[in-house]
Amino acid sequence: MTSEKEKMIYVHSAPVRVWHWINAFGFVLLILTGLQIRYAEMLNLMPLSDAISLHNYVGFAVIFDYLLWLVYYVGSGKVRIYIPDLRQVVTLAVKQVKYYGYGFFVGKPNPHAMTPDNKFNALQQQAYLMIMFVLLPAQMISGVFLWKIKGYSEYINLLGGIKVIDTIHVVLFFFFTTFILIHCYLATLGHTPLAHFKAMFTGYEEHH
Amino acid sequence: MKKILRWGLSIVCICWLWPAAGFANENSEWFECHSDEGLTKESTDNILKTEITEFLYVDEEKFNHSVHNINGITCVDCHSDIEELNYDEEVPHEQYLKAVCCASCHEEAGDDFKNSVHMKMRNKGITMTCYACHGYHYVQHMESASVAERENSICLKCHNPYQFHDWLPSRDSHFAYVECVVCHAPDVPRHINLKLYDLVTDSFYKSDKLFKVLGMEPEQFMGTIDANKDGLIDAAEFDNLVLLLKQKNIHAVFRAELVADINSIAHHVNRGTAEKTCQNCHSAESPYFNAVSLIFSKDDGTVERYNVARPVLESYHVSHFYLLAGTRMKLMDKIGIFLLAGGACAVFIHFTARVLTIPLRKKKDQDEA
Repeated sequence: MTSEKEKMIYVHSAPVRVWHWINAFGFVLLILTGLQIRYAEMLNLMPLSDAISLHNYVGFAVIFDYLLWLVYYVGSGKVRIYIPDLRQVVTLAVKQVKYYGYGFFVGKPNPHAMTPDNKFNALQQQAYLMIMFVLLPAQMISGVFLWKIKGYSEYINLLGGIKVIDTIHVVLFFFFTTFILIHCYLATLGHTPLAHFKAMFTGYEEHH
Repeated sequence: MKKILRWGLSIVCICWLWPAAGFANENSEWFECHSDEGLTKESTDNILKTEITEFLYVDEEKFNHSVHNINGITCVDCHSDIEELNYDEEVPHEQYLKAVCCASCHEEAGDDFKNSVHMKMRNKGITMTCYACHGYHYVQHMESASVAERENSICLKCHNPYQFHDWLPSRDSHFAYVECVVCHAPDVPRHINLKLYDLVTDSFYKSDKLFKVLGMEPEQFMGTIDANKDGLIDAAEFDNLVLLLKQKNIHAVFRAELVADINSIAHHVNRGTAEKTCQNCHSAESPYFNAVSLIFSKDDGTVERYNVARPVLESYHVSHFYLLAGTRMKLMDKIGIFLLAGGACAVFIHFTARVLTIPLRKKKDQDEA
């Protein structure tokens, strides 16, 4: 007979959890202030100048948080969990899609068993690799350019003008807003709806 | 009868031309002395009330290109207290002349200036003259001037904008692309100036050069571009203009700035009345962007001006201008709605299937138990 304690595995270390929740809180604030900035005439959450100031402060907090993540993950070598195994990635991804699209509904077990060294399934690996190394940096760099348009005008002009930078920032804004929505929903697909949420607070995921 | 008429007309013509001929000579007489770069006089500064040395040199070349000279305004038209020059004296006219009253010609501007903080300063004993801002001998047309040129030649002579705009997000961008009086004289009519910036020479395209390359006269421009003849270059016509520029090998981008019309209402600068509500400008319905002009500068500072439809500002042809909310691209909103709706649909469908298949999973659990 296995005890409750033995069934729990420690998958999210404290720095990762702190980083995750700072990031999550920052994202929500960035989305709200971003909506206020873009739709100033429709929304009235706060004055536009306050929304811009808050957006800038939170943006820099998220950038700092990202740099902490980068140093921690690259420094500790944990960044490996983001790199898919090219020999298996297609097979594993197909399995995962089948699970979300069919297996989950009929009560089949998740084909991916989460361990500290293999936290992400093949779909998560690809998504997070893209997000952490391409999309998030693009969002941060375009955000910094928009923060000081005059100061960075040379780089902005090189990239095709302020409208190109704005397009990147806005499209990614919509992408990340959609991502948060789906991310929150997928987080309810644990063995209980709140299991993954609890794990992101306690660090322990129940092993099945 | 014919003879009398001929003589009469001749006398009228001579009388009409005589003063002009006299003034023309007078200007050159002035430059006999005032072309001396070392010519100075001791005076008192209007504002600081300190003794200063005033330079009396006038650059004839620059004066000849000034708007006043071009319009035939001579020295004594402004310095009207000089009736004659007496060369027997060391200084052939009064040493201290009366202050020139610009409002005697620029009446409307003079009236509008009365409703301004710069006039009210007189209650504190400080006299702001017109020429403190506008200069005098070398005044040029300002229509083609960029925001930087307008600010540098007027407001920034006295004001340091970085002292008073801590509350303003993206100060540098505002200072670079919005003329001071657009906010500080909120009732002044304003418009967006679109200028063609030559990437090869790193300068704005001048009217004569552009029309030479296009192979047309300025008067033919709208006839060629404005296909529906409504006097406005709309988004589709602007696409054609960009295509035409490419065909003519013109490597240029459109740069935009928010400037005030050359209008005396721009003097209505008053304490506490500046525009500080961001949403008045940063909104899709903002009236600040209703007037958009494509302008090509001429050498004398005037412009060839063509009206452009506002949606052109949202296009990628004007890729170097973007105003938060004010000129946002509606295409982006559609992409955003598509992404969000797609995500929400995926979640909804999965959640519905999840709820509907609860009995299946329960049955499986029971079977396993």
